[in-house]
Amino acid sequence: RGGRMSRGPFRGPIYYDGPARQQRPRGGQMGGFRGPGPGPRVRFEDNYVDVTMNSGSPQDGSSHRRLKYDKKWLLTALQNLCSVPFTPVQDLTDGLNVVFLITGIEESNALKPIQVHVCLSIKPGRQVIVLMNPCPPPAILNTQLKPEDIEHLKQCMAKRFDGSQRALDLNNIRTDPDLVSQNIRAILSRKTFMDAVVKIIEENIPELVCLNLSNNKLYKLEDVADLISKAPHLKILNLSHNELKSEKELDRLKGLKLVELWLDRNPLCDQFKDQLTYISAIRERFPRLLKLDGHDLPPPIVFEVVSPTTTPPCKGSYFGSEEIKVLIMHFLQQYYSVYDSGNRQPLLDAYHDGASFSLSLPSSQNPNRCSLREYHKDSRNIKRLKDPSTRFRLLKHTRLNVVALLNELPKTQHDSASFNVDVNTYTTTLLSFTVSGMFKEVDGKSQDAVRAFSRVFIAVPAGISGLCIVNDELFVRIATTEEIQHAFAATAPTPSSSPVPTLTAPQQEMLSAFSLKSGMNLEWSQK
Amino acid sequence: MGSLAEFCPFCNTADFRTHVDASCRYSEEFTNIYYDCMDKKRRNLMRLYLDKATLVWNGNAVSGQAALGDFFESLPSSEFSIQTLDCQPVHEQATQGQTTLLVVTAGQVKFDGQKQRYFNQNFLLTAQASPTSDQPVWKIASDCFRFQDWSS
Repeated sequence: RGGRMSRGPFRGPIYYDGPARQQRPRGGQMGGFRGPGPGPRVRFEDNYVDVTMNSGSPQDGSSHRRLKYDKKWLLTALQNLCSVPFTPVQDLTDGLNVVFLITGIEESNALKPIQVHVCLSIKPGRQVIVLMNPCPPPAILNTQLKPEDIEHLKQCMAKRFDGSQRALDLNNIRTDPDLVSQNIRAILSRKTFMDAVVKIIEENIPELVCLNLSNNKLYKLEDVADLISKAPHLKILNLSHNELKSEKELDRLKGLKLVELWLDRNPLCDQFKDQLTYISAIRERFPRLLKLDGHDLPPPIVFEVVSPTTTPPCKGSYFGSEEIKVLIMHFLQQYYSVYDSGNRQPLLDAYHDGASFSLSLPSSQNPNRCSLREYHKDSRNIKRLKDPSTRFRLLKHTRLNVVALLNELPKTQHDSASFNVDVNTYTTTLLSFTVSGMFKEVDGKSQDAVRAFSRVFIAVPAGISGLCIVNDELFVRIATTEEIQHAFAATAPTPSSSPVPTLTAPQQEMLSAFSLKSGMNLEWSQK
Repeated sequence: MGSLAEFCPFCNTADFRTHVDASCRYSEEFTNIYYDCMDKKRRNLMRLYLDKATLVWNGNAVSGQAALGDFFESLPSSEFSIQTLDCQPVHEQATQGQTTLLVVTAGQVKFDGQKQRYFNQNFLLTAQASPTSDQPVWKIASDCFRFQDWSS
């Protein structure tokens, strides 16, 4: 690239003689050109204008006076003199040097389209020196294809489309005679062309299955990515013989469900230390790929990570053992018969001297809390309650305080048929279980209101047949409509008439083994 | 009754008060960790349980760390929202001197693949001495979980 002088397409000298309106007829290769118009008188030598193809530095501006010239005139002059048509693309004139970016100039000895940076440097009395510097296309280039060009492109693509295979062959399309003859340089590495191609596909052949983009100097796939949505059936893609430097470029095409892909003869292929790494890198982007570079791939190993979306089925009470079940059911029956009797004082016998009790409610999102009002003042939700004194006060400690609070709570009627019991823990000294079920309030403002509850009891053994509660936590909520429908369906036996189940000998024995001497309170006698 | 009060440390109000305050703090901290783990680090959840811990999950009993690990893996991913929290120190007589807390929670949970549901849960946490700090390490001895609408 450096240092080479080349004639380039400029064959004639240019005389700058002011703003030109008269133009020399095109085609003249030799000879002078006198441009009319204002401006300095410049005399040109009768030579070729040599064009340096390396990047020359602009002439030293200090010896120049600021000259007025007509850019348009200059460009026209250049165009007239140039044997090959070119298009000025961008004006980068800076002060003394008239600089244009032009496209479309080809070197005479290579059919390689280049973009050149033309710098016209004007010295008074001197020729106009044209410096041509090849440069990459500027980032922002707003060149739209003309409608007739798009039409030619479309015709060309139609010729290259095989309907039976739904295959489009755009291999090396810039050399297609149909396009070249129309002076269309279909350089697919340029956004305008790739966008045009994608649009033509979208509008005419969206059912495209196979696309060959080989040998198109593609160095990026950003604009090809539009095909993901526009040609959703695309399964075979040939990108071989291009300029893709990294497999990361393929990330842009991840949405394509490719089954066959050609990538050979791209710089990216040389990045891999072995074939297996290459294949797995490509497969990462296209898991359905069966053929790469014409070779069949072994079928992919697909690990389906199945995330669970079902929870285990819900079951009823869990007692752990029949003995515990009897023990607990016995206890509950006795407990609730007192609890529902209208006077809860006898419950003192059920509680350990050092027992604790607290009550909680669902946290209120609903400002209209007319329900469960009777429970509010005693509700202990430490998520909401931050004051340590209040937290302490609401935990009822010692059985006297516990039962005092229980007596203040609304009178109830529990539906024992609705009871569900889960036994959490059972050791020689501790039995912890959770009861959930329904009750209704039998008097007061919320008479007949149906509630649901969840209550944790922690008990130590007491005597032969009983449990002694050390911790009791009650959660009350409003019952749902569904729950209300099912509640109180079975006729619950009234407390007075219920027979108290007697424990069998083995059960008694088991309870003795379970019990330690409590000595703390009266044996809770069976009623 | 007098002699009994001596034996029962919980009847000593001053100590009991401190105990209640501490229980509240521990239970708040614990529930934050537990539900965060449940939602975001499910694989680590079983480490919060004692070796011999038991879980009763909607009537399904699971015990031992290995079984607990499998169980938690089998549950879909979750998003818990705790709305109610209550706690009590467990009476020493039940625990043979091992400091234990009863922690009770309620709120909503959305398991992947299901609609959001209300639940009730309670834990027994026991304090274990830590080799590396003054503060005890709390472990779950038992866990009981139920959807409020489990029967529907």
